[in-house]
Amino acid sequence: MAAFVQLVILGLLAGGVYVAVGVGFGLVWGVLNIVNLAHGALVIVGGYITWQLFTAFGLDPFLTLPVDAVALFVLGYALQRGVINRIIRAPLLFTFLLTFGLNLVIVNILLLIFGSDFRSVTPTYSGQGFEIGGIVVPYVRLTSLGAAILLSAGLAFLLSRTRIGLAIHAIAADRDAAQLVGIDLRHAYAVTYGLGAACAGVAGGLIAMIQAITPTAGEPYTLQAFVVVILGGLGRVSATVVGGLAFGLVEAFGQSIPGSGSVFANAIAFGLMVLVLVTRPQGLMGRLR
Amino acid sequence: MRRWALLAAVAIAAIACGGSTTGGPTTGSTIVLGAPLGLTGSLTKESILTQQGYNLWQDWINARGGIVVNNVKHPVTIKYYDDTSNANQSAVLMQKLITEDKANFLLGPYGSAATATDAAIAEQNEIPMVEANGAAQSIFNQGYKYTFGVLSPANKYLQGVIDMAATLSPKPTTIAMLSADDNFSLEVAEGVNTYAATKGLNVVLYKKYKNGATNLSAEVQAAKAANADIVLNSGHLQEAIAINKAAKEQKVNAKIFAYSVGPSTPDFITALGKDADYVYGGSQWTPQVKYTPAFYLSVAEYVAAYKAKYPGLGDPDYHVAESTAACLALQRAIEKAGSLDPKKVRDALAALDVTVFFGQVKFDSRGINIYKPMVVEQIQNGAHHTVFPDSVADAKPQYPTPAWDQR
Repeated sequence: MAAFVQLVILGLLAGGVYVAVGVGFGLVWGVLNIVNLAHGALVIVGGYITWQLFTAFGLDPFLTLPVDAVALFVLGYALQRGVINRIIRAPLLFTFLLTFGLNLVIVNILLLIFGSDFRSVTPTYSGQGFEIGGIVVPYVRLTSLGAAILLSAGLAFLLSRTRIGLAIHAIAADRDAAQLVGIDLRHAYAVTYGLGAACAGVAGGLIAMIQAITPTAGEPYTLQAFVVVILGGLGRVSATVVGGLAFGLVEAFGQSIPGSGSVFANAIAFGLMVLVLVTRPQGLMGRLR
Repeated sequence: MRRWALLAAVAIAAIACGGSTTGGPTTGSTIVLGAPLGLTGSLTKESILTQQGYNLWQDWINARGGIVVNNVKHPVTIKYYDDTSNANQSAVLMQKLITEDKANFLLGPYGSAATATDAAIAEQNEIPMVEANGAAQSIFNQGYKYTFGVLSPANKYLQGVIDMAATLSPKPTTIAMLSADDNFSLEVAEGVNTYAATKGLNVVLYKKYKNGATNLSAEVQAAKAANADIVLNSGHLQEAIAINKAAKEQKVNAKIFAYSVGPSTPDFITALGKDADYVYGGSQWTPQVKYTPAFYLSVAEYVAAYKAKYPGLGDPDYHVAESTAACLALQRAIEKAGSLDPKKVRDALAALDVTVFFGQVKFDSRGINIYKPMVVEQIQNGAHHTVFPDSVADAKPQYPTPAWDQR
């Protein structure tokens, strides 16, 4: 029983990272209709900012998260305004090509700056945690989950309560109608992509504490974000939260199958994704559009 | 016009100088060596270490004028291509190196997967490939005649740790093995699983995970539940770091933590800080080993040469050393063959038996070096120390590993 509870907790805690990675990806996909293949690279940019601030100035990694968010927002805004906006109405394949290219460019710039060394943010409390009845809860992972939930809540608030958030919703519903009522499309697009990038940056900061990062470490996260968003359902932040936590749980239980079960943890997660697509194409929590 | 005149003058001067050393070796054609490496992609780190090892030797041999074949000095250039850490791409580039760049001989890529695909290309073209970074025995069980590996095969990677464990007191008895599911890692794991019983140790958990996994919490949880004395990882740097982090988070207090790949690299210590202490690793080579080289540099000179060429990176790790050793094996074979003919050099490689700073280089009938022992390293106070076997050790193992909350 204790082992089962421990597994559930580990799964949910791991899910926190997937939530953080997923929300930004889901926002960009839902509003801009771009499957952002550069998302993982943006995540790692955030990771390197946290690492740099931690090693150079000894800043607590959790305090660097707002810096990640702001820096990545600016980068994302500029990328959308300067590059991606040019193909926003082009067929899907073009957005794939462009974001894949951006991914390569960002990864290689990181390689030039930081080299291929493995970096990890290891504050003094790294690896420590509390124990209740034999169940271990590591602080860093718990706080990461908290930060991911907070990030999602903040994003949901921004989208539903602010002027720009409502504009983004309007665009997602009908971009031509939105333009007719006077929404500055290019600006709103750029803000959307910037917000997605900011979420990626925060996720990267969390990931730098949990694992070792290299410039190429972001690629699996693009894929995981994709699964998370499909699992939860496109179009709502809360759905991505459910998707992320579900992905973490499925992974943990997949890994705990005896013998070579771990090898299939990903296969199980993707299998579940296919199952969801077949039986509930709108996702576990999504609304049909 | 003036430039041409100048060039001609230089050329004449060069010929004059060459002429003045009659009797000494003359300079012959340049030997081209080809090597595809993962200069981008997931294997960038290790591939760059490999390249450093190759380049160290290239500098040294060219400073001497080149490889001497029948009293003619042949300078060496190594032609690299980036295979983006993709084994199939590596094979394509290997073929390109042979057909387009006219490579005389081949040096291996990084990793067992790429080495396996490249070995097939070397075989088809009947050009020797000396490699230093593909330890999976599956590469050498294909009956290939043109692939030679200077490193100890995969099944030996963690055997040193088992040998060492058998000498410790109180003797550990149980092993939890977490292994990645790629060929190389599985061979390392199977090597331990069969060898442990002969030393009175019992593998109580054998768990495979997906190669490249970053979240290994559930696997580490299983190792904790198994309550093993020894936690072994047969995988890669990224996974070794993940397992060590998870072990601390989940308060797994084993007597020995040993990982096949990772602890020997400086990154392992910089990424983990003091949590890297007490971790053991199997290593092809350490800067502390004591071998008497027949040629090239001594171990101390090699370390100094590395630090001079690549300042700020610390000591060379074994990836660098084994890569240099591959070049040395090829050089000695070319000299012995007295020819640049691929078949003659291949025969000289098969007959090679020489000790260099890296240890004994000799190939069995399959082409892998089963004669050089693996050593065991331990990280003590943030520094690498060789702790086993005693004959090459510079420190005693710090055993048992203290519990996480007592460090």
